[in-house]
Amino acid sequence: MGRIVLDKVSKKFGDVEVIPPLDLTIEDGEFAVFVGPSGCGKSTLLRMIAGLEDLTSGDIEIDGENVTQVPPSKRGLAMVFQSYALYPHMSVRKNIAFPLRMEGMPQAEIDKKVEAAAESLNLNDYLERKPAALSGGQRQRVAIGRAIVRNPSGFLFDEPLSNLDAALRVGMRLEISEMHERMQTTMIYVTHDQVEAMTMADKIVVLRAGVIEQVGSPLDLYRAPRNKFVAGFIGSPKMNFIEGEEAAKHGAHTIGVRPEHIEVSASSGAWKGVVSVSEHLGSDSFFHVHDTGLAETITVRAGGEVGFRHGDTIHLTPRDDVIHKFDSSGLRFE
Amino acid sequence: MSQRTLPRLLQSPAVLLLLVWMLVPLGMTLYFSFIRYVLNSLRRPEWTSPSLSNWRGLGNYEFVLNSKDFWFAVQNSIFIVCSILFATVILGILIAVLINKTFPGQGIVRVLLISPFFVMPAVNAVLWINMILDPVLGLNGLAVGGINSLVEGLRDAPLVGWFFSMWPEFEPISFRATQTSAYAVIMMVTWQWTPFAVLIFMTSLQSEDQQQKEAAILDGASTWSQFRFLTLPHLGRPIAIVVMIQAIFHLSLYAEIEIVSRGNGNKNLPYLIGEFANNNIGAASATGIFAVILANIVAIFLLRMIGKTLME
Ligand SMILES: Nc1ncnc2c1ncn2[C@@H]1O[C@H](COP(=O)(O)OP(=O)(O)OP(=O)(O)O)[C@@H](O)[C@H]1O
Ligand SMILES: [Mg+2]
Repeated sequence: MGRIVLDKVSKKFGDVEVIPPLDLTIEDGEFAVFVGPSGCGKSTLLRMIAGLEDLTSGDIEIDGENVTQVPPSKRGLAMVFQSYALYPHMSVRKNIAFPLRMEGMPQAEIDKKVEAAAESLNLNDYLERKPAALSGGQRQRVAIGRAIVRNPSGFLFDEPLSNLDAALRVGMRLEISEMHERMQTTMIYVTHDQVEAMTMADKIVVLRAGVIEQVGSPLDLYRAPRNKFVAGFIGSPKMNFIEGEEAAKHGAHTIGVRPEHIEVSASSGAWKGVVSVSEHLGSDSFFHVHDTGLAETITVRAGGEVGFRHGDTIHLTPRDDVIHKFDSSGLRFE
Repeated sequence: MSQRTLPRLLQSPAVLLLLVWMLVPLGMTLYFSFIRYVLNSLRRPEWTSPSLSNWRGLGNYEFVLNSKDFWFAVQNSIFIVCSILFATVILGILIAVLINKTFPGQGIVRVLLISPFFVMPAVNAVLWINMILDPVLGLNGLAVGGINSLVEGLRDAPLVGWFFSMWPEFEPISFRATQTSAYAVIMMVTWQWTPFAVLIFMTSLQSEDQQQKEAAILDGASTWSQFRFLTLPHLGRPIAIVVMIQAIFHLSLYAEIEIVSRGNGNKNLPYLIGEFANNNIGAASATGIFAVILANIVAIFLLRMIGKTLME
């Protein structure tokens, strides 16, 4: 179980309204990802759900029960922090056992659960070590282990992977996804990372300044962003926005074209420009094109074998079927 | 020159200076403790200057061990030091945790709390023994007098009078007496040194990780459990520092003991050294060596104990 409903939840720090009243429902077993620019209130929202931050107004329901006044430990949610927040003076075993010990569970049962959690997270060899003697990835596993043993109805992750290096991040991302598949528990995951959001989420919640800009599945958000902000935020590299005459041709105030939806050619195309920077990743090439007369820079993504260089003239043709049209207020229309 | 030689060479003056600084006094103490050396002797004037020809072997040590105050002074040293440590650490933790929260007037409260530490030990002792602990003129006497006159007044009151007429007259405690002078010293030094503990614990509390606390809250830890399992282990090292520094300082208490009772019923090793040093430097030096040994034993013992209890 773990259906989480936020009903007109808001938060003020002093006079500053960080989160204006907001409604959101996260279904049981869903993997929800909060994304948004830094300072938009993702962590605050997560902490409010956890109960670490009081609400200024509104209600939170978990499984139909109003938990607004319920203390954090009684909400049945477990949280994994960016800094891991392991207890430095306790061994890994004691760290994982801590929530159970606080519940007053008998020692034999605690041992069994800790062993099981350690087994599933490959931590058996480290049980007697202190957190300081672990690598970042291992620490993160311990933090997850500590969350799992409580058997919570929901997990809250606040940028859990952002302290890890790129390779480990991919590995842990898969592990968390697998964990979700296996346990089918509600998870709320805060991240900055495009790829994490797109690959892990059942549902992405895009926030800006505490306001939900759009909620939807990753592909919905990619294919049909509600406005310019979401369009620019989802997808990497960013969508190109073109205003003026070219947009007017499509009957819009602004049009948006994703870099991967532009064909390149050396000889002919709809638009013409000069390559200023070309980035070759092997599998793909990114070209930053100037002097098109459309926008400051147009970013294009092409196959890895395409080889334009700095200063080359390049012709661009957008794929007509995937051009996004926005009105003057930034909303997308068909 | 190998890579290490130059740095070592450059460090050597400082190291040498420190060695000389420590070793010379220690060496002289050791030397004096093995010879007959007195300041004044009409019968044996040759003992009044230190010389190897006055060699006494372990005689001074034997003399000290057999003197009537030695074992009492050792016990009393340990008693005073341990009591002060116990009180300052407990009070220090309590106060530090209390004022670590934000509240109006925080800055002033903190400064006031620290201020006893800036009072000179002798002044501290004089103030305490005369103004607070004096059985007649001090707070002690006034308070007990006040209680007595209150009880006196209540004896005639209706309904409850019979109850109070069974109460005896209270006697203020005299802290200069043989049995109580150690407690007076413990109280005044605790008052003076608690701020030191508070200061150190407070800085440590401010470096405590808040996310760990939040994680513990989510894990269902009560305020007490958070204190017991997070804050207290976090304070382990600062407690060790406070204990070690204070143990060193308080093993050599002197001014307070002198002012409270002139050693009457309350001697520690330094005081004994002082008494011997009136004339018998040899015995005083032997006592000094015993004091060094005692300080080391106490320090090792205390650190072990703290390490065991806090670091799980
Ligand atoms: N205790 C606080 N007091 C005052 N303002 C706060 C407090 N905590 C957060 N804020 C403000 O609330 C806003 C949202 O902060 P929050 O930490 O939720 O952002 P975030 O989306 O998690 O950002 P990031 O991605 O950088 O972690 C920020 O503008 C921040 O300055
Ligand atoms: Mg954050």
